[in-house]
Amino acid sequence: MMAAPTVRVSGIVLSSLMFQHVNGDGDVEGLVLGESKFEEQVTISDSQADHIHIEETYNIQKHIACHKLNTFYNSVGDIDMEAVRKLLVNNEQERVIGWYRQRRNTDQVMSFREKVVHENLKTSLSNPHMIFVLLTPSKLTPPGSTHKMEYAAFISRSRHFINVPILVNNLGVLEQLAYWKVSASCSATGYNLTMKKHGSKFFSSNGLLREVNEVNDMNESLQAELQKACRDVEESERRLETLQSYVSALRIRLREKRRSLAGKELEKDLPEQKNNLLLQDAVRTLFARSPLFQTQILTLQAFPVPHVHCGSEQDDAVSVTPQDSQSPLNATRTNGWKRQKETSEGKDRKRRKNQL
Amino acid sequence: MNNMSPEVALHRISPELRPLLCSVVRNGRVGLDSTNCLRVTDLKTGCTSLTPGPCCDRFKLHIPYAGETLKWDIIFNARYPELPPDFIFGEDAEFLPEPSELPHLVQWDAGNPECLLQLVKELIQQYHHYQCQRLRESSRLLFEYDSLLEDPDYGHNMEIYAGRKNSWTGEFSARFLLKLPVDFSNIPVYLLKDTALDPGEDVALLSVSFEDAEATQVFPKLYLSPSIEHALGGSSALHIPAFPSGGCLIDYVPQVCQLLTNKVQYVIQGYHKRREYIAAFLSHFGMGVVEYDAEGFTKLTLLLMWKDFCFLVHVDLPLYFPRDQPTLTFQSVYHFTNSGQLYSQVQKSYPYSPRWDGNEMAKRAKAYFKSFIPQFQEGAFANGKL
Repeated sequence: MMAAPTVRVSGIVLSSLMFQHVNGDGDVEGLVLGESKFEEQVTISDSQADHIHIEETYNIQKHIACHKLNTFYNSVGDIDMEAVRKLLVNNEQERVIGWYRQRRNTDQVMSFREKVVHENLKTSLSNPHMIFVLLTPSKLTPPGSTHKMEYAAFISRSRHFINVPILVNNLGVLEQLAYWKVSASCSATGYNLTMKKHGSKFFSSNGLLREVNEVNDMNESLQAELQKACRDVEESERRLETLQSYVSALRIRLREKRRSLAGKELEKDLPEQKNNLLLQDAVRTLFARSPLFQTQILTLQAFPVPHVHCGSEQDDAVSVTPQDSQSPLNATRTNGWKRQKETSEGKDRKRRKNQL
Repeated sequence: MNNMSPEVALHRISPELRPLLCSVVRNGRVGLDSTNCLRVTDLKTGCTSLTPGPCCDRFKLHIPYAGETLKWDIIFNARYPELPPDFIFGEDAEFLPEPSELPHLVQWDAGNPECLLQLVKELIQQYHHYQCQRLRESSRLLFEYDSLLEDPDYGHNMEIYAGRKNSWTGEFSARFLLKLPVDFSNIPVYLLKDTALDPGEDVALLSVSFEDAEATQVFPKLYLSPSIEHALGGSSALHIPAFPSGGCLIDYVPQVCQLLTNKVQYVIQGYHKRREYIAAFLSHFGMGVVEYDAEGFTKLTLLLMWKDFCFLVHVDLPLYFPRDQPTLTFQSVYHFTNSGQLYSQVQKSYPYSPRWDGNEMAKRAKAYFKSFIPQFQEGAFANGKL
């Protein structure tokens, strides 16, 4: 986590501080009142892990000048709390966020005693987050026709003092690039009275704009409707699934029933062929494998050609004629046709041989 | 930076603060290098530009420390002169002394003219502790410091400046400034007072710069106060040895100290030897002595006569006599050169031994005069004109 402190002051407050002291005939100092905020900012990015940093913002709203130097501390920087309380009106101790000093014709760095006083003030006021505002007016030109007033804020971290930029609030804050998350704070009584009087027209009891609440309500209603529609869809899908499974079960049963019915009908149509069956079995047993009753390919010498299985059913179908279904009578005719064909071929071969 | 003399600074400062500043610019010698007083520059005011002067109440104070010059801003308030000052410690932003350990801040007394000077000295002490703490970043340099601290001759007369780490290379450097415990009190007074300005205390400072934390680049340098440097024969007379590779300060510093002590002893002995020499010549030549250096015993002039021939003999004794032989210049009282000067001849080589005592040297010189004069006379007659 990184802390990025900024100090904000309105132009009016800063200019009144400068105006009060610019003509003072020596160094001046006093207390700074306001409020400090610490906000956790989470930056979400696709390219890297979430980045969390704490933004410290100190808003300077008022200053209280001391009548003389070393009012609330001694030569070694020890704080006199009684003197601090006397400076604060209406016991505003909790509003003290730091102190300031105007040091003419010196460098814009904290001095030895300022560092000691700052650390002791943090301890005395039990506030680890305090700022020190340093103003250093000086002559810009030797004749003194132009003067400059430099200002800076300092905070301490583990006894290291770092310079914090002071941003002056204005109507058109140029550095503001993003949306405002919180409004600029203001402690003016008139402002607070006006907000109290008219605020209820725009804000609800929880501090949000009324329209925001209504939009939120509408959003919630939409969400509820969406959820209801989702539930309906889910139910109908489940019912559909159930029906589909029932339908498929019914189909299976129907198929099986049809199958079984078809088998029974076939059995009814066929005549009784007990005798034929026996004869058929006998013929099959005796002559099923007999070469005389099988269709065969013969050579010229009338020897059967052995079957060569090519491994496919088609080949088997080609090479092996279904003998079981053929009757013995048909086999003779087939053999005769084949024999005639082979004889003529054989004669041709003989003729050719003789010719040779 | 606008350099200004102490008088100008005192003239411009607010009258109520003048006594405090006066003791700083006139008597303000702090640290080992106390040859010069503290310097004040950049006097400014915290009052408006329309306030009639003198009303300056803030300035820069230049403080020599360990071979560096610290530039601290001291801020008073002319409107409240009774209040204690505030400080800005220049580039040492991390130096934050404990206020309770500064007695003259706790009990600030604007009516005591010495209060500011004492407070500055206390701050320098705190600054020294702060620099010593920074040495802890290098164990090697811390060892050097601790070993010197144990030696009472050097431990209490040491200033350390720990340099900033180089952000690129991460190197850490430091400089040790040590006051060498050499006794200069016996150096003849005449050797010390021949300087343009009042040099202040006679001191020898050895500065050793460590350019890296591992002590591979070490550069020693010896600083002598102007009078001591003059007494020893100038800046070229004393060369210290280089820092030995792998060596340490506790061995090197005593070595340099001994070298310097020997040199001082030699100079002191040389003075006594020269006095003895002159005394012997006075004894031997009596009325022939025209004049001699009665303070430093570096010169002697004799008027002698040989066979009605009168001549002068100027004897010049060098700083490192008797190691270095005196120069004899014979001068004719009758003859002139073309340029109008008395005819003379310089003799640097003649019978001489540094082991002879003054009496023996006078006797031998007399014998040499007798042997050389005829030759000189001839030369004068031949080359000079009456």
